[in-house]
Amino acid sequence: MAEPSRGLLRAQEIYQDRSKRALELQQQGKKIMGYLCIYPVPEMMTALDIVPYRIFGDMREPITKADAYMPTVNCAFLRSCLDLGLKERYSFLDGIVTSHICDVGSSLSGLWNYAVKTPFSHHIDTPHTLHDTALVQERGLLPDYQKALEKFAGRKMMTENLREAIRVHNEQRALVRELYELKKQDPPLISGVETIRVIKAIQSILADEGNELLREVINEVKERSDGPQIKSARLLVWGSILDDTALPEMIESLDANIVMDDTCVGSRPYFNDVEITSDLMDGLAQHYLMDIKCPRTFRTRDYYDVRKDYMKDLEFRFSYLSDYVRDWKANGVIMESLRYCDTHGYEVAGVRDYLDSLGIPSIYLEHDYTEGALAPLRTRVQGFLEIIS
Amino acid sequence: MRYLREGVVSIHFAGIDLGSTMTKIVILDEDEQIKASVVYHTGAEHRRLANKVMEEALSKAGLSIDDISFVMATGYGRINVPFADRQITELSCHARGVASFFPSVHLAIDIGGQDAKGLKIRDGKLLDFVMSDKCAAGTGRFLEVISASLGLKVEDLGDISLRSTQKISVSSTCTVFAQQEVIKHLSAGVPLEDVIAGLHDAIAGRTARMVNRLKIEPDVVFTGGVAKNIGVVKAMEENLRCPVLVPEEPLLSGAIGAALLGKEHVLKALARGETIQTGKRRLEEATFFQ
Repeated sequence: MAEPSRGLLRAQEIYQDRSKRALELQQQGKKIMGYLCIYPVPEMMTALDIVPYRIFGDMREPITKADAYMPTVNCAFLRSCLDLGLKERYSFLDGIVTSHICDVGSSLSGLWNYAVKTPFSHHIDTPHTLHDTALVQERGLLPDYQKALEKFAGRKMMTENLREAIRVHNEQRALVRELYELKKQDPPLISGVETIRVIKAIQSILADEGNELLREVINEVKERSDGPQIKSARLLVWGSILDDTALPEMIESLDANIVMDDTCVGSRPYFNDVEITSDLMDGLAQHYLMDIKCPRTFRTRDYYDVRKDYMKDLEFRFSYLSDYVRDWKANGVIMESLRYCDTHGYEVAGVRDYLDSLGIPSIYLEHDYTEGALAPLRTRVQGFLEIIS
Repeated sequence: MRYLREGVVSIHFAGIDLGSTMTKIVILDEDEQIKASVVYHTGAEHRRLANKVMEEALSKAGLSIDDISFVMATGYGRINVPFADRQITELSCHARGVASFFPSVHLAIDIGGQDAKGLKIRDGKLLDFVMSDKCAAGTGRFLEVISASLGLKVEDLGDISLRSTQKISVSSTCTVFAQQEVIKHLSAGVPLEDVIAGLHDAIAGRTARMVNRLKIEPDVVFTGGVAKNIGVVKAMEENLRCPVLVPEEPLLSGAIGAALLGKEHVLKALARGETIQTGKRRLEEATFFQ
């Protein structure tokens, strides 16, 4: 077996030991800020030289301590995050920023403060609609967040620093998109499993270090000869958080390549840039509320108009998925959701109806955020592949 | 015949369906006639069992392993069949098997020991499917547990339920909670046949709701071990509001489908001028941990 290329190997090392680099940076005097979900505006952390460090769960670690705080009918990813917090896996964090990603995520914010007690915490009450008033609210939340971060960092956030941070994060978005361009080929130049490792890695280190890693990976996968092989199915994976390679590994062990995704340890946070507006906060508010296409935001701009026509509503909300299918030449879609992830679970019917209307085959997988529980899903995925291939 | 391997003197196709509860094997001849079939409880030692059922089927058919042109494995344990030439899911195999008995099938329902499946079929091809979750509620295991707790044989449940005049409503198909409900009804003096008819109705209702997404359209075919229970068959007809066809041997549809798909695979490969890839043919004792 050929040696893994250096960028991919480094991504894999960070994926497997995420806190290593953060701890090194902490030794150098930097503060590490944990953040939950993709909404706590990491650009503002970067502008203050704080290391943004995304909080993930661990599906290979049984949830044992969090059940004392959260009911088992809550999303297992969030329960796992709290469980790891309670087991001191995040004890190195200097602070944590949460947002109202969903009701359970919001509750987790309070529970974390109560039970894990990270020294600094801030909660952003991110709205859930695209209405104009929601944008005003999101914009209005950012100054308080800025003040809290400035107090935490012990310095003022200078406009030029924020502008530079937005530029660096936009560069990261462009690099991720460049990486995904390489998945349009057949076979794709990078697998779905490798992609998750890379994205999780860049969400664990400084933004400019992440950009360097992305450049390395892009250059290496373009030149390597031991990448993915041509398979019968080219799949788009849509759904809730996949912060472990187990499910993609199962899928790609079959006759399928994952060529595109719409998940948040994937393309979702990276496919729109933050607009550099005259007031930089306007562009950030616009991006984090309006541009990210996650089901946690109810993406219907004009409820009383679009909602009258179901298919028009679906087109408004999901047309980007048909673009993905066309551009990445996917011949099937896997919709996946964590059990009890209501935000994605409720969205499945709409996504399926939309894909059905376009004649795009799809399958829905609900999983438990445990590695062993993926085995029964293998038959479903293989059956789906037998149909579409 | 071009697709005979060197030294092979006859043409036969084997399908083995290693399910979670029952293992089924079928050997078909060139004309797709069943030469032998064997059904065993699966147990824990999949690989050893696979060899055993194959040996028994070969013995029944008067064949040797070298007489088998292609072995297709399916079912939950399909990767644990050491002598299989290829694996394919039970979804495709059930669809193919059912369509061979009833070419006009549009919906097939298979309820096995641990799961239930709905298969949308057109012109013998699988178009879509639904499967029950990993919970065994509403499956053969559910009936086994309930019958054991009532001191009855699972194969007697169907006939007992036919005596029912006023079936009860069982609100849960969770095996644990349904057991509690059964005990409650029996304690209240509800006749046994009405309780069992209620359980059958609960299974059928749950399955009907599951397959509703595929659009219920005749012909509907019911297979799997639970299809041997006449009470569930009747309850299924009531819940689906259409007649339900049951093959003569509802347990074998997956294995028959596997054998037929094996044959089709061979014929397609030959038509393309490809060499047929077959696994090792020697049956050997396998240990549990191999």
